[in-house]
Amino acid sequence: MKVTSNVDHLLTQVLAGEVWPPLADRNAYRIDPDGRAFFLPGMGGVTLDVHVGDPATGYAGDHVEPGLSIRHREPGANYALQYLSCIGNRVEVTSGPAKGASGFVIGQHAYVLVDMDSDDMCRVSVGDEVSVFAVGQGLALDGHREVVVKNCSPALLTALAGGTTAAGQLEVHVSAVVPPEAIGAGAGMASEYANTDLMGAYAGLGEDLSLGLESLCVGDVVALSDQDHRFGRGYRQGWTTIGVISTASCLLYGHGPGPSSIMSGPVSAFKVVVDESANLSSFNLEQVRERT
Amino acid sequence: MSEVKVVSVNLLGYVDQGEVGTDPYRVDRDGRPYVAVGDGGTVLGLRLGDSVFDHVGDHAAPGVCLVHPNQEACHALVGLACLGNQVIVRTGDAAGRAGAVLGKRGGGQRVIAVFSQDVLTRLRPGDQVALASCGQGAAAPLPGLTQMNIAPAALSLLGVTVRGGHLEVGVRAMLPSPFVGNGIGRPMIMWDVDLQVDADAEATRSLRLGDLVAISDLDARANAGYRRDWMSVGIVVHGASPQPGHGPGVTIVLSGPAERFSIRVEGDTHTGLSEKRLISMAEEEGREDG
Repeated sequence: MKVTSNVDHLLTQVLAGEVWPPLADRNAYRIDPDGRAFFLPGMGGVTLDVHVGDPATGYAGDHVEPGLSIRHREPGANYALQYLSCIGNRVEVTSGPAKGASGFVIGQHAYVLVDMDSDDMCRVSVGDEVSVFAVGQGLALDGHREVVVKNCSPALLTALAGGTTAAGQLEVHVSAVVPPEAIGAGAGMASEYANTDLMGAYAGLGEDLSLGLESLCVGDVVALSDQDHRFGRGYRQGWTTIGVISTASCLLYGHGPGPSSIMSGPVSAFKVVVDESANLSSFNLEQVRERT
Repeated sequence: MSEVKVVSVNLLGYVDQGEVGTDPYRVDRDGRPYVAVGDGGTVLGLRLGDSVFDHVGDHAAPGVCLVHPNQEACHALVGLACLGNQVIVRTGDAAGRAGAVLGKRGGGQRVIAVFSQDVLTRLRPGDQVALASCGQGAAAPLPGLTQMNIAPAALSLLGVTVRGGHLEVGVRAMLPSPFVGNGIGRPMIMWDVDLQVDADAEATRSLRLGDLVAISDLDARANAGYRRDWMSVGIVVHGASPQPGHGPGVTIVLSGPAERFSIRVEGDTHTGLSEKRLISMAEEEGREDG
């Protein structure tokens, strides 16, 4: 049975942001797990050719942010943008050659990350302004009081496979189950901000670094074992967090492709079903949004 | 090959006040609000050897935090400060009194220094403290291991010995890598790692400030990250935290392949670093340098 919620009571807030430039420092290099220096693209700007459904590993990049990386210049306004934007929210380009083009939020990474059609994305660059139609924070599921939902738009909730089981659990389909050993940078941070880097996805590096996560894709819905992300992000035995992979390849040690968190609760509250199609690319969020 | 000398640099730090945001509340892992006490600044009544769980605090350190108002200078202060370095108060009522570096915490933000309680009561936010840094770049006692954040002479204080090609270390507990929270993925010369443990867990119930702990499958030579069959050893430098993903902090001092270590888990019989031993060792080091 599809899960019901308080979606009719949620508000939409229109938030502005702009494509933020990639940032570097004059010493240029960062270091990989084996101590080698690298300088690679990934964060900031408009990163082309990486969309939802594409592999999350295999790029010569670091903290690869698919699509547009969005911030606001003013710190307070930026936190509003980062905290209130939810996966699946509609985004409209409001300046520059791509004015009028639209896309959708795929997650946060200290930037709001936006995917859109390749032809439109090619025309967007640093400084172009966007509007995010932010809706989703405050979402609560009927009959699943132990599950805290965040960063999840009503459209994404509708599109997710599963729902309330006969036993009263929340069935969620995920493409992978992530062990707690994989949790890297992001632990201890607010769960409405940025994402949780997963270690063990260093494709091509040593076997002793692998946790079998090299085949993750951008947009994958994943379950994080022993993670409680209801009020921040921490290790907690017997708790499960559901997330959506929003960033790709990462060489910086202790970092990696990462999920933005969407649901968290005791393990008993969920029925996790492994399903390869559990990816944002299968959901056609735009159509779902129009229906809802 | 001639022996490479470790470089000593005199630094200036300032006694920290601690900072709170515009909202007095933080949120614990169950969503309850709380007011953070002892997160930075000068904390009285908390000492090496105390339980990390016994006080109502958030990341409280046993002594004083040292900072520098210039961010880059602060990063250098934190990066270069090593366990066992002597600190001497330069201004204020405690001028001339000596203490020692215990460790560091947060992203290059704070050095934790230990003083006797009578010195701590005389210290005031803004007092200047000279810190005789020495230790980064020092070779580990065995090849293949990486040592950091500790004055070479201080290693013996921790009861670390070399035997049969192994580094023998007695620790309060050996913890699996998923216990590592905030600090993972960050450079260990600048950050500590918070242990996501609580007072209910058998392995960590008796954890005290100044204890040595070992963390398995953690490579902390530069950034801390997961690597199978590696081991990292550090010292507990601050107390627990109600915040999810946070907890007692460990400044890493040794890291390398697990096979090079012989870890002795001592549990309740473990004796951590004491204030008296740490300060007197730093004094001896200070005299030798002088």
